[in-house]
Amino acid sequence: MRTAVYVLECRGIWRVWISLDLTVDRWWWSGAGLESQGRGLVTVDKLVLISPALPLGWAVKLRDHFKQRDGMRNWGTKEWGQYVSSVLEPELKEEREAGGIGEKEWFSDGGSLWRLPEQSGGFIEQSRKNNDCRGNDLDYALLESEVEQFVHAVAGRSLLQPEIEALLAEGLPELMGRWRQAAQLAHLQGRLELTAAVGCDAPAAHGARARQLPAGAGTLARAAARLPHVWWRGAVARRAVSRCLRCGSAPTGRTACAACGLMGCAYCEACLALGRSRACALLLRSAALPAVRCTAALDPTAAAGRWGLSPAQAGAAGAALGFLAERRECSAKKCPERFLLWAVTGAGKTEMIFPLLEAVLAAGGRALVATPRRDVVLELAPRLAKAFPAEILAVLYGGSAERWVSGRLTLATTHQLLRFHRGFDLVIIDELDAFPYHNDPLLAYAAEQACKVDGSFIYLSATPPQEMQRLVRSGRLPHARVPVRFHGHPLPVPQHLTMTSVQTCLKRGNLPRSLIHTLRKSLERVAQIFCFVSRIAHIEGLLVLLRRSFPGVVIEGTSSKDPFRAEKVTAFRNRAISLLVTTTILERGVTVPRSDVFILDADSDLFDEASLVQMAGRAGRSKDDPGGHVVFASPQWTRSQRGAISQIRTMNMIARRKGYISKETPR
Amino acid sequence: MSSLFSWLTKAQALLSPSITPCLTCGKRNPGSSPLPGVCRICVEAIPWISSPRCLKCGRHVGCPDCTRSSEPSPIICNRSAVAYTSVMREWLGQYKYRGNERYGLLLGLMLDRAYIALKEEKRSALLSQKTLIIHSSWSADLLVPVPVSDSRLRERGFNQAERLADVLSKRRKIPQLPLLIRTHHTGKQSFKSRAERIADMKHAFAENPAVTAQFADWMKRKVPLNRPVRIIIVDDIYTTGSTIRACADIVQQMGSDYGYRVEVYSLTWARS
Repeated sequence: MRTAVYVLECRGIWRVWISLDLTVDRWWWSGAGLESQGRGLVTVDKLVLISPALPLGWAVKLRDHFKQRDGMRNWGTKEWGQYVSSVLEPELKEEREAGGIGEKEWFSDGGSLWRLPEQSGGFIEQSRKNNDCRGNDLDYALLESEVEQFVHAVAGRSLLQPEIEALLAEGLPELMGRWRQAAQLAHLQGRLELTAAVGCDAPAAHGARARQLPAGAGTLARAAARLPHVWWRGAVARRAVSRCLRCGSAPTGRTACAACGLMGCAYCEACLALGRSRACALLLRSAALPAVRCTAALDPTAAAGRWGLSPAQAGAAGAALGFLAERRECSAKKCPERFLLWAVTGAGKTEMIFPLLEAVLAAGGRALVATPRRDVVLELAPRLAKAFPAEILAVLYGGSAERWVSGRLTLATTHQLLRFHRGFDLVIIDELDAFPYHNDPLLAYAAEQACKVDGSFIYLSATPPQEMQRLVRSGRLPHARVPVRFHGHPLPVPQHLTMTSVQTCLKRGNLPRSLIHTLRKSLERVAQIFCFVSRIAHIEGLLVLLRRSFPGVVIEGTSSKDPFRAEKVTAFRNRAISLLVTTTILERGVTVPRSDVFILDADSDLFDEASLVQMAGRAGRSKDDPGGHVVFASPQWTRSQRGAISQIRTMNMIARRKGYISKETPR
Repeated sequence: MSSLFSWLTKAQALLSPSITPCLTCGKRNPGSSPLPGVCRICVEAIPWISSPRCLKCGRHVGCPDCTRSSEPSPIICNRSAVAYTSVMREWLGQYKYRGNERYGLLLGLMLDRAYIALKEEKRSALLSQKTLIIHSSWSADLLVPVPVSDSRLRERGFNQAERLADVLSKRRKIPQLPLLIRTHHTGKQSFKSRAERIADMKHAFAENPAVTAQFADWMKRKVPLNRPVRIIIVDDIYTTGSTIRACADIVQQMGSDYGYRVEVYSLTWARS
């Protein structure tokens, strides 16, 4: 889009403003309606219209890179023209190189792209005249009340124009035709930030970001995020690094654009799925509000009693509550504080977050629970709704009907976080190591953007990434461990079974006797078996061999490519299938009461330590059968397998030491 | 030890040959592919219309619409590159609605294939007529993209038909002129029935006054005298043909205003 740009002198300070509708600005600066907050206090000394319609990206650059110079007060058309050309020099050059129309054509084209009005002060005087009796075509009293509604509706959000329109169509249809005016007035009041979706970040924010990236983002991603910062100093004079302000990626696309008229209008390809963010697209963000503080008065034991937490769960939840209540001395750091809840598989993580959410909601704050996976959102939604019946719960995922519902409690997939900006006091990220959050700097950026700068982050994971484990070990990341499952039994420790690779078995056309023997033992104790393989291509062949070895047993296979995956998982849960051959897609989320786990080719590169721990965590989750069997079957013994087993043993050891193990499982 | 290991893996990743992920499936499949940005496997799955069942509208399956209609059509024929399957719908959606403009060149090159097929078809038809030798090669004289409304253009940032025509125009050296404008916003076609679309389209287009002079000039300088002018209307998709026919009517009218005989063809990326 294109917007109007003007400079305004107010008590000797010059500022550049962009405007979606100049009539609102005229009215605002003419000082009409002095009774409204703050407006009457400023006296406008000089106003110069730079352009009635400049590509938004350029307008924002003029605003954000504005530097006051001596004698601006006496500048005429020529001086302002030169100033604007000098600020936009790289853009103009790029545009010429891209084959766009040259500077001259550009600016003569629109009549007076940055030629001043006839008399420099004419703009404001004319509007004074118009506004003497509020004789404008806008009803400003109505507009002001609409601004209240509008600001409320977009609180904590970061929205592109089509998203604003969708939100209004659903929530405030009467504002549809006039949202630009409302947004402009809110912007002048300092309650909304108007910017271009792809643009240059202020240098300060940049440094903070590199520091803030969660450890989960991985070394490489953090190095990448730090890179532009290193370049910054050298490049700042030449050209600022542009990025998509919504998702943090560097814009990789650049095309001619009919909306702003430029030949090279950059757009971001990383977050296309949520609507296109581009250099001339309006990004509207609500101004950040300070975070609420939870009171320490909330008694951890009482909270535990109310939510039915085990001693281990209550201990960890108590530690997290203490973290929330802590006074933040280091809020000057301008980034949210982080806390890790390291809970073993089957520890009952969901119950533990209830007291935390309650504390934030009780303090009048807004809380967000985010998880990378849609099925987890769908599973969690009814439980949260039941736990907090008085709250409006917004459940957000791709294709959800509640996209624009605004609740104090929000449950969302991590991608949806791109639509928020400094909106939440508490952000809880579940399974932060799960695909696709793992190693995706985009989602890490989104999560950080969604949280208020002085808010809190709580990560939940059974298998935190190495980077984060290191921070825990060195004491730089506050955390609490839940080393035991809710039923108080230790985690089953995986056994190793030496066998040939699946590939070889398929080639030979038979399965090793030892594997068949172990599988038979599991079937005899009527356990349901998860059989994990590393490759989708192995599933079919393995099914044939298994069915031949175990006639009469219902054996099925599923993978991400299986259209009947959901049906098969349901059948497995209902015990209609006894043995399910699958890949890592089922490493999380699926719980069956009496289960054993076999991981074939456990030495494969595709199974890292975290994934082995997660798969092993499918066994022994029910209190009726806490001692399920886990078998790592592979020709080789690898570091990942050793690491996984030692992680499980460590957790068991901590649990025993703390006295959380109520019953030892008979072996 | 572990950090050394991770550095080794990263170093290895840097040294191994990089295969850019496929635009459409996101996988890194090796092997060269005839279309840019798309892997071999995806290219093999493209539902090309290599020999249309309906010679009028270029449909790959039997076409009741063309046999039913008795009124004369303003177009000679339509040809489309692919059948509009769900995969192709996804591709077009990525381009048009998501705004992934990397698809622009891909779809343009696919359209180019349809143009070459049309050219070949016409050439062999000319040969079989055994007319003069100079007629034995067939090529179009002008491309005209189907316009979108101003508000849609601002919202989307580009006109997909124009971008498709751009690719063809550059590759085959055929000039392109935006002869038409959309006079009113008809809303999304995909939500309408056949009858609604046809009624809607009647007055949706008009002559573009901005290029009238250019068109007249082109007519004067470039038009061949010994045969009718061949104008191809370009669009992304042919569903009922009402859009194309409405455009063709105007183009025919414009041609006859200048006293030229015009043959209007249409070329679309997909045929539903």
